[in-house]
Amino acid sequence: MTFELFGVWLTVLLTLAIFSYLYNDNPFYKAAEHLFVGVSAGYWVATFFWTQVQPNLFGRLWPKLEDTDYGIFITAWYYIYDILGFITSGFGLIERHVFPVGGIAGHSDIRFIYIIPFILGIFMLLRLFPKIGWLARWAIAYTVGMAAGLRFYGFLNSDIIEQVKSATINFSGSGFEIFNQFIVIIGTLTGLLYFFFSKEHSGVVGKLSKVGIYFLMISFGASFGFAVMGRISLLIGRFNDLIAFSSSEYNYATLVLLVLMVVLLAIWAFTSKNDTNEEGVSIN
Amino acid sequence: MEKLKNILIKLGSVDRRVIFLLVGLSVLIPLIKPVNIPIRATKQSQDTYKAIEALEDGSNILLSFEYGPSTKPEIHPMAIALLRQLFKHNHKIYAMALWPDGLFMSTEAFDQVAEEEFHLTYGEDYVNLGFRPGNEAVVKGVATDIHSLFSVDTRGTKVKDIPMMNGINNIKDFDFVFSFSAGYPGSKEWVQFGCDPHDIPMSTGCTSIQVTEVIPYVESGQISGILAGMPGAAEYEKLVGKTGNATGMMAAQSFAHVVIVLFIIFGNITYYIQRKRKGKN
Repeated sequence: MTFELFGVWLTVLLTLAIFSYLYNDNPFYKAAEHLFVGVSAGYWVATFFWTQVQPNLFGRLWPKLEDTDYGIFITAWYYIYDILGFITSGFGLIERHVFPVGGIAGHSDIRFIYIIPFILGIFMLLRLFPKIGWLARWAIAYTVGMAAGLRFYGFLNSDIIEQVKSATINFSGSGFEIFNQFIVIIGTLTGLLYFFFSKEHSGVVGKLSKVGIYFLMISFGASFGFAVMGRISLLIGRFNDLIAFSSSEYNYATLVLLVLMVVLLAIWAFTSKNDTNEEGVSIN
Repeated sequence: MEKLKNILIKLGSVDRRVIFLLVGLSVLIPLIKPVNIPIRATKQSQDTYKAIEALEDGSNILLSFEYGPSTKPEIHPMAIALLRQLFKHNHKIYAMALWPDGLFMSTEAFDQVAEEEFHLTYGEDYVNLGFRPGNEAVVKGVATDIHSLFSVDTRGTKVKDIPMMNGINNIKDFDFVFSFSAGYPGSKEWVQFGCDPHDIPMSTGCTSIQVTEVIPYVESGQISGILAGMPGAAEYEKLVGKTGNATGMMAAQSFAHVVIVLFIIFGNITYYIQRKRKGKN
């Protein structure tokens, strides 16, 4: 309970610290912002390592083998594993978590092809060393090439072919459906025309591209409306938590921290006003 | 008339902190003093509901959790309502996440619905495969060979030892895919790399911000219906027949919208009057 209570108070403190930015940029907000960035980076690194690098890369290179009758090559291969295990356990000071004794559970056979991503991963880290940093380009080139190839098919199929197909008018539908599809096709064509710069936007082209602007404006308006709705939903979520944590069960965390923060912000605002010269520039 | 114009100008140029305060109050008051507002399911929410109702009982459903604590108020109520509907029809649920936070969200949703409400057995009625980094590459991996991607589940059990994973090798072994999406990677990647190439029906519940990005796929029939943000979640709660968090939060959402719309109107009127005055001068 004590730990849960600590978590609740910390949640409330950080939420109010972020909200305090609505008044002005202040030390509470800055502290919460830096903490958020640091914790997020650390959390992502840890999650990626323990869900991908350790089980799917190391786990495939050095799996826990059921067959213990190793040849000399496999014994030598697992000798490297033990050296890595010894180093990552602080030279035997702590338990071997990254490279547990005997291999990593999950896969049944060694996949040597994974040496390639392992080497490319090491190349990526070599950016930290200027003299051999150029090797990182190989890893980046692989990533960019793979992503481009992978995405090409997806976009071509789902975003071009399927969307073009759906933009056609189905004359067997109801009158309203045909009208709707007709509007969609006009919007699509005029919207595309607006982004066609090989011909001057004057005369008929200019008028049609203006129609395209109206369609784009309606689309931006819809996006803005949905964005507002989304932000309000997030605000509701935070307020729900703050209301829940203002009860006696949590020692009135919200109310206590809110009052404390308002007082401290008032003191900060007063003192920082005194620390500025007549032109409003800080003298510290 | 001039007096009214001056008042409107004053209203339109009010300090931004006053606007923040009013928006905050418009959200806070309905949450403290709940108000019931009527909820009517849109065609898109109904389409999602019908698509799932049309599935045979005991179908294999893949749920992908692509959201985290920041978007929980919008999407988590959808996950709860959808799980209720799926478990009611004895569907087999296979969960995974393209976002690391999605793992915690799915665990929380299963704890509430599968364990507490339906008392189901893990590994026989539902399984949580967890998070894998790699964005669209993960979707592509699920589409081709799920076992090469997931060797163990979230409880550390080998995937090949889980009873309900027998016969599940790739996306073709699922009857329906549902993506709870808050951005990239999410619904779009499931359409492009998972469901479209293999012709697997799918639907999505996404954040309001994502709706305009996903709606073309709904209109073209690539996605069967869409649950759009918090209103979508509230509508689905109504369709499933059990009100939850989203329904309770809709009053706050609506009041805040009214306040924002009023400020947009005042802002535009002020801008119009000021522009006219400048023109005269």
